Amino acid sequence: MHDPTANGHPRSTAAPAGVVRFLDGVRARIGTVVVGQDVVVERILIALLTSGHLLLEGVPGLAKTLLVSCLAKSIALQFARIQFTIDLLPSDILGSEILDQRVNEFRVNKGPVFTNLLLADEINRAAPKVQSALLEAMQERKVTIGKEAFKLPSPFLVIATQNPVEQAGTFELPEAQLDRFMLRHRLVYPTPDEEREVLRRNMALGVKREGGGATARTEFDVLAEEPVGTIDDLVAAMEAAATVHVSDTFLEHVVDAVTRTRSHPDLELGASPRAGIALIKAAKARALVLGRGYVVPDDLYALAPDVILHHIRLTYEALADGKRGDDVLRDILHDLTRGAGKPALAARN
Amino acid sequence: MAGRRSRFGGHAGALALLVTLSPLHPLTPSLRAQPETTVGMAGMLEGVVLPGSELERERKDDRKAPVVLRVVRVYPHGTAFRYDLEYQGLEPGTHDLRPYLRRKDGTPLGDLPPLTVKVNEVLPKGHVLPHKLEIEPGPHVGGYRYLVVGVVVLWALGMVALVASFFLPRRRKAAGATDKPVSLAERLRPLLEGAVAGKLSQAELAGLERGLLAYWRKRLNLEGADPAVAHAKLRAHPDAGPLLAKLEQWLHQPGEPEPVDVPALLAPYRDLPPEAIDLAGGTP
Repeated sequence: MHDPTANGHPRSTAAPAGVVRFLDGVRARIGTVVVGQDVVVERILIALLTSGHLLLEGVPGLAKTLLVSCLAKSIALQFARIQFTIDLLPSDILGSEILDQRVNEFRVNKGPVFTNLLLADEINRAAPKVQSALLEAMQERKVTIGKEAFKLPSPFLVIATQNPVEQAGTFELPEAQLDRFMLRHRLVYPTPDEEREVLRRNMALGVKREGGGATARTEFDVLAEEPVGTIDDLVAAMEAAATVHVSDTFLEHVVDAVTRTRSHPDLELGASPRAGIALIKAAKARALVLGRGYVVPDDLYALAPDVILHHIRLTYEALADGKRGDDVLRDILHDLTRGAGKPALAARN
Repeated sequence: MAGRRSRFGGHAGALALLVTLSPLHPLTPSLRAQPETTVGMAGMLEGVVLPGSELERERKDDRKAPVVLRVVRVYPHGTAFRYDLEYQGLEPGTHDLRPYLRRKDGTPLGDLPPLTVKVNEVLPKGHVLPHKLEIEPGPHVGGYRYLVVGVVVLWALGMVALVASFFLPRRRKAAGATDKPVSLAERLRPLLEGAVAGKLSQAELAGLERGLLAYWRKRLNLEGADPAVAHAKLRAHPDAGPLLAKLEQWLHQPGEPEPVDVPALLAPYRDLPPEAIDLAGGTP
């Protein structure tokens, strides 16, 4: 039966008020700069609360960078951005040893990875060894420079972006590396109302005087420097997320969903246990973001595409039939709801 | 008188020469000593004049012919031809070479004189010969051709089985999904009874919750919608929303469960007619 200690302390049905206030404040602050994208903001907060990394996929111009910058400033987090290019080297990210000629000794020059919030822009444009260097840091949360290992700051979160349209000159992240990301979210265009609001706000930006001249103001110029919370607030929220209640019934839903991916005829590679773990963690964080002290099936259905899709691989036949991962996952979730029988699990080595 | 004798003598000489060269008197081996060889050794008949048109070797495909003959050279000889023939006897005895010749122009041999040769045996009398090889019947029935046909048929059947093994399981799975459509009522009934009696496991409770969600998604025609969107719409529905809230309270909220009247909550679903909503592929 259910082990109370495994699921944290006895909780109320609502999330702690202070945490809710903090999270609402962050969302409100982001909302002052970024129009719409509520789901993306929610996913970023989930990633932040669970220390899971986030991969954002979307065409340029959907305010990915602005969103992450705004989040960093809202919580007073250290923020760094790396634009991935083909000639980037691992030392450009991690840092390197340089010879200090004054004392004739090597000293470590830490790279931009030593931050709380790292935006890896267009991660698929860098060579695989650079991707691997970053992904190793994501996994182990430490970096080795020379002979010395350095622990990364805490919290440490990587938000990577990639453009799904331009594939020339890119290096697609393999499944093993995609597995490092807890969430992979696909951004969509804003609705017409949101688009209208974006245009209105942009028209009102005006011009910024600098020195003797002036430049056109951008959305980055209106980011308020005053944070709405501190890292301590964030840590409290992370602790609260860890104690969100998960019922045994919800566990059954997750187990059923994950195991169905392993026996679906259109899937060559099903979701790993890591996907199930990520689903639970993300569901807990989402419940907290939405002010609940417990998870419900809505969390599973809302998060399944972002958590599961990059952990599965379609068979050649399914690809030849023009199927996509989204379609197969939707089938699985439909079957889950309908209670359709699970296909026999094929023996796989 | 002497002139007449002289004239007569000249005529006689010319006649004798004519007789000597006449094709009616060919110089044949039969007229000479019969040539002899031993088995397997080649023998020559040189300068054999044979009347008629030119002869050549008769082509024989018979591998058991006792003699092999070869025409080595041919010379014109008046109206006839003179031949150098080489033969090789493969069986002991006396053999006539005429069956091994034919005319180049295709005319019959006619009165060709016999060309007999003798092939002597080399082995001594009473020599014990090895037994002839006996062809044992093969283990297969019907011979090589049937064997080939059988192998081809087996190969084709194997290919069909191989191809079928790829497609049949999938088709069977697809067919299995529609073979026994289980109605929602049939699937829910044991779960509802168990829930009212408080005897359901967590997996069965999860199945019950999903079954009720399926019922409302079907009823509100939300089956094709994205599951997250469908769920949000169910929450907003005046009938489905309270049910979800009660299920949430019963199954998902932490701490001591608040009292939920399970029989009353599930009462509307206990008497669903079997044909209420069919869920193809559902399992009870």
